Amino acid sequence: MAWILKTIAFLSPIIGGFIYGFERIVRARMQNRQGPPLLQPFYDFVKLLQKRPIQVHSFHSMMGIAFFFATWFALSAFLCGPNILVGLFLHILAMAFFIIGGFSVLSPYSVMGSLREIVHLMAVEPLLILLAVGLFLVTGTWSVEEMFKYPGIPLVYLPLVFIAFVLAIPAILKKSPFDISEAHQEIIGGPEVDYSGFFYEAIYTAKWIEYVFVFAIVFLFTGANWWLGLALSLIVFIFVNALDNSTCRTTFHQMIKFAWFFLLPLAALNIFVLALWRYVL
Amino acid sequence: MSIRKKSPWILHYNCGSCNGCDIEILACTGPKYDVERFGIINKGNPKQADILVVTGPVTKRTRARLLRLYMQMPEPKVVVAVGACACTGGVFRHMYNVENGVDRYIPVDVYVPGCAARPENILKGIALALEIWEKKTKDTIEIPTVIKKEYEKIVAKMLMHGQVVDRRKIIYDLVSKYIQRKLETPKCD
Repeated sequence: MAWILKTIAFLSPIIGGFIYGFERIVRARMQNRQGPPLLQPFYDFVKLLQKRPIQVHSFHSMMGIAFFFATWFALSAFLCGPNILVGLFLHILAMAFFIIGGFSVLSPYSVMGSLREIVHLMAVEPLLILLAVGLFLVTGTWSVEEMFKYPGIPLVYLPLVFIAFVLAIPAILKKSPFDISEAHQEIIGGPEVDYSGFFYEAIYTAKWIEYVFVFAIVFLFTGANWWLGLALSLIVFIFVNALDNSTCRTTFHQMIKFAWFFLLPLAALNIFVLALWRYVL
Repeated sequence: MSIRKKSPWILHYNCGSCNGCDIEILACTGPKYDVERFGIINKGNPKQADILVVTGPVTKRTRARLLRLYMQMPEPKVVVAVGACACTGGVFRHMYNVENGVDRYIPVDVYVPGCAARPENILKGIALALEIWEKKTKDTIEIPTVIKKEYEKIVAKMLMHGQVVDRRKIIYDLVSKYIQRKLETPKCD
């Protein structure tokens, strides 16, 4: 069991690359197009290595590379570490590198994107903490490895938390309707706007690791039933892509309102009822 | 076929075009011609783009921006001029506010004629540009046409005096001087 998680953590850039390539095909088919080949992200990877990097200044480039390694480390700590919360907090730290890198250049798009990235963190991270609490109430452990050994299905006890998490996935993966921090038509990618060549590659690969991070959390909702988890993550994958294709971008006010006044109370209600049922009744 | 050729990212810039060619370029990304199956994405960011697709005769208000976008793209890069206006100035040739084509300012690798250029022609032009792109490396030095004479004069002078020539720095200085000069002049000089 532990070695599977360790392998996934080690190979996460490659697994995430395949997920991203598959996603681009699915998105193209939804728009009645053929779409790129499955290996397209890796072709982009090789091409970006052959470009001449233009550095704004060395600190900015270093933050790009730190973002990649910190995201990878956060995923490893999430899957193999003793506590699910450590992984979630390290994930916030990784985003902090990205945000500081975005603030350190003069480009207004980059600074605006970093501000919006902070809004993303404010909207999503409380929900992830509540999710960890809910999983603890059901499985009785903080360790992800132990959660994957839980014989039952946590989804049965945490349906509202799961719905809240699925609706928050677009904000974590920067997809429409909540792609406000990397709005490609208005602020050209946000904090990633000044990276080029090898340094953009680090950002590009870190985004693949986020896919593994999100779908690992979806797997947690099915406990030890791996086949059910695979089916569930496929359904979530197609739902998120359909949502991405069919909605337009919201403003950050709308995103914060949706996250704090709808998703958080939904998750909190589920956990409240569960705790009452477990410890009081 | 090298791997690099499979993922060209495009930067599309309109220097005063009538939008005819721009709509045809957008049609290439639609379901019928779908350029994403070749890995082509329309990136709005010059720092991550490989192919500069330019439409329109260069008007006096856009020339400094065109040069700036070109200088922000990292090597290897290629330029495709789409449409009659971008190639020669088209029907606007020799007008008071027009610079008669893109190649007066930056070196153009592929010319795609037509008014407006058809999507098939644009795809063919990009395929030709990819063959040129494959031969360039990250050490290729591209000199914008508008400062070429000045650049050659400076390099010849420096070589005569036996100085070390930093070609990229000379190009950068000349272009930034040029952009400053042109942005300071009143509109439609």
